[in-house]
Amino acid sequence: MSVIFTTPFFGICLSVVVYLIGQWLFKKSHGLFFFQPLFVAMVLGIVILVVLAALLGKSTASFYTTAYKPGGDLIFWFLNPATIAFAIPLYKRNDIIKKYWVEILAALIVGSVISLTAIVGVSKLIGLSKTAIESLLPQAATTAIALPISASIGGNSAVTAMACILNAVIIYALGDWLVKTFRLNSDPIGAGLGLGTSGHTIGSAYALKLGSVQGSMAAIAVVVIGVVIDLIVPIFSKLIF
Amino acid sequence: MKTSKQTTSKKAAPLLVQLGIYTVILFVANAISSLFPASFPVPAPVIGLILLYLLLTFHIIKLEWVDSVGSFLIGIIGFLFVPSGISLAANLKIMQQQGWQLILVIALSTIILLVVIAYTAKFFIWCRQEIKQLAAKPHTKSLNTLHGLKMSVNQHAKGGE
Repeated sequence: MSVIFTTPFFGICLSVVVYLIGQWLFKKSHGLFFFQPLFVAMVLGIVILVVLAALLGKSTASFYTTAYKPGGDLIFWFLNPATIAFAIPLYKRNDIIKKYWVEILAALIVGSVISLTAIVGVSKLIGLSKTAIESLLPQAATTAIALPISASIGGNSAVTAMACILNAVIIYALGDWLVKTFRLNSDPIGAGLGLGTSGHTIGSAYALKLGSVQGSMAAIAVVVIGVVIDLIVPIFSKLIF
Repeated sequence: MKTSKQTTSKKAAPLLVQLGIYTVILFVANAISSLFPASFPVPAPVIGLILLYLLLTFHIIKLEWVDSVGSFLIGIIGFLFVPSGISLAANLKIMQQQGWQLILVIALSTIILLVVIAYTAKFFIWCRQEIKQLAAKPHTKSLNTLHGLKMSVNQHAKGGE
């Protein structure tokens, strides 16, 4: 029985099917945010893995690694060329970058310092442990930057990965509502930079749906914030603890 | 819109050529990425993004050589992210241990990052406009010109929607 779960076919098939169910639900519900395809796929996929693991008498974590990960990794790999592809919207709006690069850099550096301070404040108010706070500090960077930084400052990289993934899912699912509530579309440059910082590559894809300026700004935010986090989080973590 | 679509479909490089460009850039980016120290990680896709941007900006690579595959990949990025979302299945224990507080802080952090960065940018762009207006004041006496300048800056920032 468990033999059929040891090839990549299961992981690929599960990913495609749950995402298609998500798309179908999203269409049927006329775009209800709760049925956002990525969110549905994530929840449904996890539930299916938990149920199958229980049926086969394995732990969810080990069943995930042996059965889902081989196929999931194949799909995950395509995020690499997809991230590179954001150079295209960036290039298409070179006019904005040439005109506003000083403001863009200043906003990303100053904004991330303010954000980090606010995140530490909120975390302490809610009562998170030191390790948890350290794990959350690098979350504005993409996973590949955030995980090693988190480990180097004493955080738990599994928590960091969870934060990075949830950031993206939240932005992709609630983007419309957030942009409306905080009136972000009055300034497309700011909206793009914010979406790229908070939602990473997925946030950039969402920003691109809003417009070419937002998309290019989100792409530049992903790159610059990565370097900013590399530089300031190690210093920041020493200052606050 | 119609003309741009026609030109891209006319000149679009074959699929395999486009994929070739992406894979070569990824390979080179990965090699560069390995040169960075562990304390200053810069992942291959981020370096690849910069490389492709520079190649496009310096007209070494033409837009139509990478555009259609790039748009396709960006278009399905929600799907490409599904395995990352499902990977949380391996970390369900953390959620049980740290519970709702952790999820709440992550959700709040997302909103903080989005709003703070967006408004910081808005503030700096506003500063630039103010400085420009102050600099323009001695030369232009009428309020109308100032207003026109502000409008044109605003229009430029809003362009492309």
